[in-house]
Amino acid sequence: MSEPDNPRWLDGVSDELRRDVPVRSAWRARLLDDVERTRRPSVGDDFDDRFDDAPGMVTRRRRIVLSPVTGLAAAALFAALGAGVMYEVIGARSIARNASRDGGSSRDVALATASTSAGETVRFELAAPRASRVMLVGSFNEWNPAATPLVRDAASGKWVVSLRLSPGRHVYAFVVDGDVTADPSAPRAADDDFGSANSVVLVSAPRT
Amino acid sequence: MRRLVVVLSMMAIASVARAQEIDRTLPSQLSAATRATLERFIDSARVAGLPVDPLYSKVREGVFRSADDARLIAAVQRLGHDLGDARSALGDSAGVEEITAGANALRAGIRAPELARLRESRGRKADRPLTVALVVLADLATRGVPPSLAAASVNELVARNVSDGSLLSFRQSVERDLVGGRSPASALDARTRAMIDDAEKRRP
Repeated sequence: MSEPDNPRWLDGVSDELRRDVPVRSAWRARLLDDVERTRRPSVGDDFDDRFDDAPGMVTRRRRIVLSPVTGLAAAALFAALGAGVMYEVIGARSIARNASRDGGSSRDVALATASTSAGETVRFELAAPRASRVMLVGSFNEWNPAATPLVRDAASGKWVVSLRLSPGRHVYAFVVDGDVTADPSAPRAADDDFGSANSVVLVSAPRT
Repeated sequence: MRRLVVVLSMMAIASVARAQEIDRTLPSQLSAATRATLERFIDSARVAGLPVDPLYSKVREGVFRSADDARLIAAVQRLGHDLGDARSALGDSAGVEEITAGANALRAGIRAPELARLRESRGRKADRPLTVALVVLADLATRGVPPSLAAASVNELVARNVSDGSLLSFRQSVERDLVGGRSPASALDARTRAMIDDAEKRRP
């Protein structure tokens, strides 16, 4: 049996196939997470796969059994790592204090020197003597204007807040009595899609 | 033992990362049609291997700034395309922060070949990311320095392996000069030469 070249029923099938199918959001999120976790293929994958399948080859998996002595050594090492991290935190803060005294921006210092795996405490400050309310918004607080208020520092008269940020690039702005404004002492972001520029703060990734 | 140290370090880093994860849901204020459009676009970006956190953040910024749906969608799509172009220019090995900073530099008017040149100037032996250089580049262009001049200067400094801290000082110096009334080209030229002289003196 043969069909005409452009049957009407085919348009109906085509429309039906193009229709968005509602899926449960939990299922969708799980699928997308799986997609994201899937390693992208790269050069050499065939070689690696071949060895993965071969029993007894270099890439076989091994169980690690810790003896009490090894466990104690691991605990000592972990303590040393912790001490190292504390040392880095203290060192970075000391440099930040010195730079602040020299007139530098503490945000730039965070960018240049912070190196702990735990991120860095960054001090945001703004001189706005006539403002009655200043808030901080940015990628680190979901651009929530109620999340991070600044307080007026009695000594300097500036509005300040300190925030612990994870390593990475963060975009932010101040909201001064309802008006969004960039930080005058920080690098600017170019993406003023919504009317005014934002600022950038970088916190270094941990040293390896 | 080495594996144990690696595992412990990974656990420490992961706990910090969890503490400040981006919320990967779309705000409830969006209309159903806008939400569907954004979900499709962000899903495509994810499948293409692009970082999606900046896209979610852009959506939230748009909602915070009360942008209408068309403007919000345009901003997210533009950012997505910039992220793709930045990754192409900086290479597949570029990290998330580099790609995001690269996209921002493109947005500031820097051209993709100039980003690629920056990557070449860093060379293979240098192990530090270009994120700081790209942030400085975008900042200069945003402040009125001609993008091609800014790219040439930063490229020159990266090629001489100038540290991230010095790049930031360079940015601040140029900014001070601009505020003081100096022309962008003149400020950039003088500060670049000073930085290169300094780098030459420090050379062993």
